[in-house]
Amino acid sequence: SYFIFFSFQQRIEIHKLRQGDNLILGFSIGGGIDQDPAQNPFSEDKTDKGIYVTRVTEGGPAEVAGLQIGDKIMQVNGWDMTMVTHDQARKRLTKRNEEVVRLLVTRQSLQKAVQQSMMS
Amino acid sequence: MFCRNQRSRVTVARGSALEMEIRRGRCRLSLLADSPQDTEIQRKMERELRLREGACKLLAACSRREQALEAAKSLLVCNSRVLAYMAELQRRKEAQVLRRTARRPSDAGPTDERLPCRGTVCISDLRIPLMWKDTEYFRNKGELHRCAVFCLLQLGAEIHDTPMVLVDRTLTDICFESAVLFSEAGPDFELKVELYSAGLAGGSAQGSTPRKLATRLSTSLGRSSGKRVRAAMDGAPGSPPGNGGTSPLLLPAPSVPGPKFHLLAHAVLSLAEVQDGFRTHDLAIASNEESSFWLPLYGSMCCRLAAQPRCMAAPVTSGFLRLQPGAEAQSGARLYCVLRGTDLLCYHDPGEAEAGLEPALTIAVNKETRIRAAEREGRGQPHGMAVTNRYGGEEVTHTLLAESRAEAQRWMEAFWQHFYDMSQWKQCCDELMRIEVPPPRRPPAMLPRQGSLYHEMAIDPSDDIEAVTDILTQRAGGRVPGTPPWLSLFEEPPLHATPSGRATSPSPPARRPWGRPRTLSLDAKLSTLKGRGARRAAPPQHPLPHGSSSSSSGSSSPAMEHDHPGPLQSQV
Repeated sequence: SYFIFFSFQQRIEIHKLRQGDNLILGFSIGGGIDQDPAQNPFSEDKTDKGIYVTRVTEGGPAEVAGLQIGDKIMQVNGWDMTMVTHDQARKRLTKRNEEVVRLLVTRQSLQKAVQQSMMS
Repeated sequence: MFCRNQRSRVTVARGSALEMEIRRGRCRLSLLADSPQDTEIQRKMERELRLREGACKLLAACSRREQALEAAKSLLVCNSRVLAYMAELQRRKEAQVLRRTARRPSDAGPTDERLPCRGTVCISDLRIPLMWKDTEYFRNKGELHRCAVFCLLQLGAEIHDTPMVLVDRTLTDICFESAVLFSEAGPDFELKVELYSAGLAGGSAQGSTPRKLATRLSTSLGRSSGKRVRAAMDGAPGSPPGNGGTSPLLLPAPSVPGPKFHLLAHAVLSLAEVQDGFRTHDLAIASNEESSFWLPLYGSMCCRLAAQPRCMAAPVTSGFLRLQPGAEAQSGARLYCVLRGTDLLCYHDPGEAEAGLEPALTIAVNKETRIRAAEREGRGQPHGMAVTNRYGGEEVTHTLLAESRAEAQRWMEAFWQHFYDMSQWKQCCDELMRIEVPPPRRPPAMLPRQGSLYHEMAIDPSDDIEAVTDILTQRAGGRVPGTPPWLSLFEEPPLHATPSGRATSPSPPARRPWGRPRTLSLDAKLSTLKGRGARRAAPPQHPLPHGSSSSSSGSSSPAMEHDHPGPLQSQV
């Protein structure tokens, strides 16, 4: 059988929202090189230890910027996110002096569907 | 397998070669959706893939032939569009790469090449004649050979489909009357016309509802009955594939069931074929008499192919020019001029132009016109244009002066571009071709409705449920004595819990008169199928509480959700 991996890379620019003392982005992440990749429901490859978006708060800065659940975060403001621990990833996103984060994400939502479409 | 520093990679294949690459094996395309146009194509592709999924589901679930044909058509259209979008993205990526690598100082030539204007191409009144002869083509005498056909029209990455037409011996021509427009064509366009056909045998071979239902039921039983039926059917022709015997058989076949469209003929039209009238073009025929989808095509196709380049359809530029007094004793009036199509229209003021009144003066601007820059007396700077036309045997020159040097340059540039466009679009610039915008076509309701798959399995009142059970009994090799033949089908509850948590159904008591063809187990099974489909469509979600309130505490510690029984997640 034949299949095609289709990954669209997107640039997402999130303007953090100030809530009290915090700057929030409005999403949650899972993954990391210190985590178990088999538990990641979004990855195509179950050995992928990358950082994935596991939840997006409705109406929050991330959703407004176009981030989607299941997106894999490749870079944050130029910092690599493909080989980081979970905590390192979180820290790179929540730097107190950064109001804007520019993410490079890979969106894999097309993969399975494209697979099917090429099989008929 | 996304490695660090993954950049966009460009494969060498393009167009149909790309398709071959994909079909041959693993093919990885990683594309950077940087620009808004790329995002637009990506969006379109995602939409087509969603439609495709819908069409697949419908095809697998429906039993009425017209529905199946429409779904099969949608499938083919979606596939074609996805491939077209992929090829387009591929092309753009390669162009980008070429641009980056082509900056060599030794390259002579202008950095900005002049590009011809875009235009609208319209194809309409498609007619494909058929050639039915008295001699028999088809083996089944007495049975009317029928096909369902439609056309795909492709220009660039844009694909339009015509409605589907049923063709049999009583039809002399296949006609698709309505117009199809492509609005961003260049003069080098290639309009591909493809005729697709699906053979329709008589009712029996296609699969009547009882037969299809029997197949569905025999492959969707509960565990024990499934084992029993399968054991009885093993070795029989057409028995469904086994899968280890520990779980019920699911929907059969990796390939999509149902009717299939095949390419029957195609033609490629370009600028040379454009004409304000009907023309006949050759068709390349892709199959022979042996195929089920074959039709006796005459070998040609008639249509009207018109094109309206922008330079003809809309004003190119406008502004104030002063007509130099010449032989016609014009007083050097200041005129508001509009360059459009084959004329320079000169009005007294913009209001007149807007109102659509007759211009005070019309100067022809066509392939025969000569324009040269006019200089202010002796100073050597272009300040206007001399427009020379030949009327009959006479040469007439109008000298138009601009209000500034910049204006003069702007007009000259506009004229050069206009002449270039006319040289590229050729016969389309002789006269404006008429193009009618067709009324929006009502799209066929092919997206899966929110209702239950259950309703798609329509069973005609005329279809006796006994027909189903008879077929199954025959397959199983005989009737169990003393019980109604269908009883064995409904002894086991369905294995999978439905998402709505519907309770498993009790089996009907023996010998209950069969009122409705829809049984409780069938209902439950079908809703299981629907639930499975719905689950596949929705992305998996972690059942997390909404944590938007948790960050208002102002603490600097992260909101880690350790209490959730799952992988570690952090809210940012």
